[in-house]
Amino acid sequence: MPEIFIDHKRYEFEQPGKVLQFMLDNGMDLPFFCYHPSLSIPANCRQCIVKAGMPVFDRDRGTFKLDEKGERIIRFFPKLMTACSLDLADGMVVYTHHTDELVKQAQADNLEFILINHPLDCPICDQAGECPLQILTYKYGPEGSRFEHKKVHKPKAIQLGPRVILDAERCINCTRCVRFTDEISKTHQLTIISRGDKNYPMTANDQVFDDPYSLNTVDICPVGALTSADFRFKARVWEMNQTPGIDISNGKGCSTWVWTRDNLVMRITPRFNEAVNDHWMPDSGRLSYRTFNENRISKPWLRPDNKEQVRTTWNNAELTLREELDKVESSQILVIGSPHASVEDNYTFKKYFESLGVTDFYYLPHVVPGAGDDLLLSDDQAPNTLGVRALGYSEIAGDKLPKIVTSAKPKLVFILDDDILDRSDLTSSHLEDAFTVYWGTNHNGTSLAANLVIPITTAVEHAASYINVDGRIQRTVPAKETLYTNRRLNLEMSMGRLDHYGTKFDNWVTDANRIDCIPAWEFITRLNPGSDTFAWESSRQILAEIGGKLNIFRGVTYEQMDEENGIQLNLEQDSEVNTV
Amino acid sequence: MPNDWKSYKPLLLPAIKDLHEISVYEKNNGYQALRKILKDRAMWSPQNVINEVKTANIRGRGGAGFNAGLKWSFMPEPDGKPRYLACNGDESEPGTFKDRKIFEFNPHLFIEGAIIAAYAMQIDVIYVYIRGEYRPFVKMLQRAIDQAYEKGYLGKKVLGSDFSVEMYTHMGAGAYICGEESSLMESLEGKRGYPRVKPPFPAQRGLWGRPTTINNIETLANVPLVMDKGADWYLKIGPDTHPGPVLYGISGHLKRPGVYEYPAGMNIMTLINEVAGGIREGKKLKALIPGGSSTPPLRADMLEGVSMDANSLRDAGSMMGTAGMVVLDEDTDMVDLIWRISYFYDHESCGQCTPCRDGTGWLEKTLRKIKNGDGELRDLDLLLAICHRMEGRTICALADAAAWPVRYSIDRFRDEFERKCKKTVYAVA
Repeated sequence: MPEIFIDHKRYEFEQPGKVLQFMLDNGMDLPFFCYHPSLSIPANCRQCIVKAGMPVFDRDRGTFKLDEKGERIIRFFPKLMTACSLDLADGMVVYTHHTDELVKQAQADNLEFILINHPLDCPICDQAGECPLQILTYKYGPEGSRFEHKKVHKPKAIQLGPRVILDAERCINCTRCVRFTDEISKTHQLTIISRGDKNYPMTANDQVFDDPYSLNTVDICPVGALTSADFRFKARVWEMNQTPGIDISNGKGCSTWVWTRDNLVMRITPRFNEAVNDHWMPDSGRLSYRTFNENRISKPWLRPDNKEQVRTTWNNAELTLREELDKVESSQILVIGSPHASVEDNYTFKKYFESLGVTDFYYLPHVVPGAGDDLLLSDDQAPNTLGVRALGYSEIAGDKLPKIVTSAKPKLVFILDDDILDRSDLTSSHLEDAFTVYWGTNHNGTSLAANLVIPITTAVEHAASYINVDGRIQRTVPAKETLYTNRRLNLEMSMGRLDHYGTKFDNWVTDANRIDCIPAWEFITRLNPGSDTFAWESSRQILAEIGGKLNIFRGVTYEQMDEENGIQLNLEQDSEVNTV
Repeated sequence: MPNDWKSYKPLLLPAIKDLHEISVYEKNNGYQALRKILKDRAMWSPQNVINEVKTANIRGRGGAGFNAGLKWSFMPEPDGKPRYLACNGDESEPGTFKDRKIFEFNPHLFIEGAIIAAYAMQIDVIYVYIRGEYRPFVKMLQRAIDQAYEKGYLGKKVLGSDFSVEMYTHMGAGAYICGEESSLMESLEGKRGYPRVKPPFPAQRGLWGRPTTINNIETLANVPLVMDKGADWYLKIGPDTHPGPVLYGISGHLKRPGVYEYPAGMNIMTLINEVAGGIREGKKLKALIPGGSSTPPLRADMLEGVSMDANSLRDAGSMMGTAGMVVLDEDTDMVDLIWRISYFYDHESCGQCTPCRDGTGWLEKTLRKIKNGDGELRDLDLLLAICHRMEGRTICALADAAAWPVRYSIDRFRDEFERKCKKTVYAVA
């Protein structure tokens, strides 16, 4: 097998590749700015510079030439090489800053060059704390600068587009953002303008940087030159907790990081997942973080005698629901599941009503034709359409829903987290004769029309799985506390600095940010006290139960999903699509 | 040095009236080399043409001095897909103004050379990249190209053979860096003029990812001479290691500056004193920049016996470059001159690589400080340190080109720099 010697250590490699990527794959460190594994290699930051050489080959003997000590004679390249663009070659010898003084000096020199025109405004820069330039300068940079002249001044705080703001002085011209729009989103909206130390990225003549993926350039910017208009000046990186999650605003289900502070989601950024979204994520998914904070249903709401909705207690909600259930036959109950809710919620929802004798279960797909693209947006706007279908719910088109309601004349309607009044021909007048129970996360038209509203947890408050448009099951991890969960007790939840050192009496901990809601399955266990069939204690248990009943979920566990960033399901296996 | 330089008859720019007209050029043995090759295809297979040019050892006139035939031989075998010849007429190095003479007075020699090169490398598209400031010369060349098309030297089935070739001119937009071969290709492709990372070399992946050869205009103008009279004849012109005629662009404080054609390897003092008429106003020679602004300047006392060929200049401590000699008399302020050169490189750095982008600006600012009399002695050491950190750390050679004049002029004219500097005063702890 071909071999390479890095800092006197021998490594073997199978695939051709570049030295920098090989070093990163093998856990070695080397500073770099412009390189990105998913973009082309411009080798322009010159930071990953190493000394490299090849052994001298003796063509006559067919072996490498040896010196008197019996060691290979190495012919070094005349210049220091950038590891990012250097191809792996059999027998290659590489010296990094660990073993070569010249390389160490060259890397420090390069950082000195980068910093001479950099404003060094870290205290007021949003990138501080997660800034490769800051980190690498501390690690590899010179102790000070010998630059005594005026720095080059460039435009600051330019609104490039609706979501991205540019500070040209901070730019180190790595061109990652330009390459992103050229190679990944293919909108070609950014380019570098001007020359030399005066250059910076810009859109062409007054064009607006409205790329649907524009915020990815903020992620990959190795300095604070591109910042998010939305997240700017809101939170410091070290104040936030970072929890893995998935994007539930679209059927693609990108892997995400959910950044929370004081139980508010501050931002959502992509999490690397080779099978789904690579390093990227659409802007719409990032900005959907507001739905987790704003307009949330907290505490059950009840509409007594068709008057205004009022807040009520969980006990009252439970008793009201029991009363209503006692009044009707199972045939008078209409149950509508949701492609927006998780597999576990939909499963327990269905199981509960099956136990009451209900036989027909529907869901309303949420597809916007033409909304998708061939990158990371699908026409399907719901995160779990395939999941709710696999559980045996029948698809029902928006225009057919009123017919079902008028013909079946249900007395009791249950709707799981889905704004169906907004997306179908159904209106609140259709539901006038029925008692409508809405189990949801956010206030919307449907919740306002309901007689009873049960607040349930969102994807950032519970552990639950969703099946994306490609049949991949992925799960979320609670990132945000509800009134009934606690980071210190739930080991899955991440602990940030404020959580560690804050108490509920500190001014940076706001109890109001904790929503009074519980997972849908938990409410069902409350409705059935003492029952063995509905005695779940965690969503993990529910998934195990589903796995025992439905073939496609067999053997699917949270552990495996965590390990492999989701599991590809074979949905053809035993689910057939029921449509009405 | 050839002793008979006074009797030398110019080959690239012969003194013939209206040579730029195709009829005049044809009368004066024009397009005969091409005709000869296309007539006897068995004798002059593409490989044989390459071998002949390789033997003639035409050293690239664009600055690097690489054997043109050897460069051609790097082109891979044709695979039926496009491959390109790009002719570099960007001529952006300060002190260089020779290619415009070819466009103006003998464009057909270059066109014929380019066609032969295309034939040898089995290329059917030639791009001529000319700097945008050369608008009149682009027009002149375009007129010559149109004439060549009319006469059937360019276009489909050249002179009735099965060899076809198209030639297009392309105007640059004023960037020095686009004279660098890989950024020239980027510019031709309509992109920003950023040099490319090598490898892959242009012969492997050039224009639009296809094999491409880039040659200087003057280099290609030498090709018809070689093919017409043979490599052996060509090798007899000038020194063995650097044969052929060279267009010396001599500028500066001279009585008769201009472009002069003589064999390579002319003695520098002969060029200054006899060809260009000596230093004007009877002043003394102080320094010489031998081949465009990026080549290290030489002090007058270093020029003893040095001739204009790559090896002799290397031994003297400089480079041949484009043979654009800048002659400086005793009144020249070296600090001012080097600052101006630095200003140019600061302005022209494309901004891709860190050491060049920020280093050129740092050099310029520090030199301006010294020029304005605010410099300190430590700034000279700083300048040398910056140069040392820029050299060889970038994708293309612009960083080296910017660093060398500074480094070598501080080295060679240090007392002059020191005179402008204040003594460094260090704070006592």
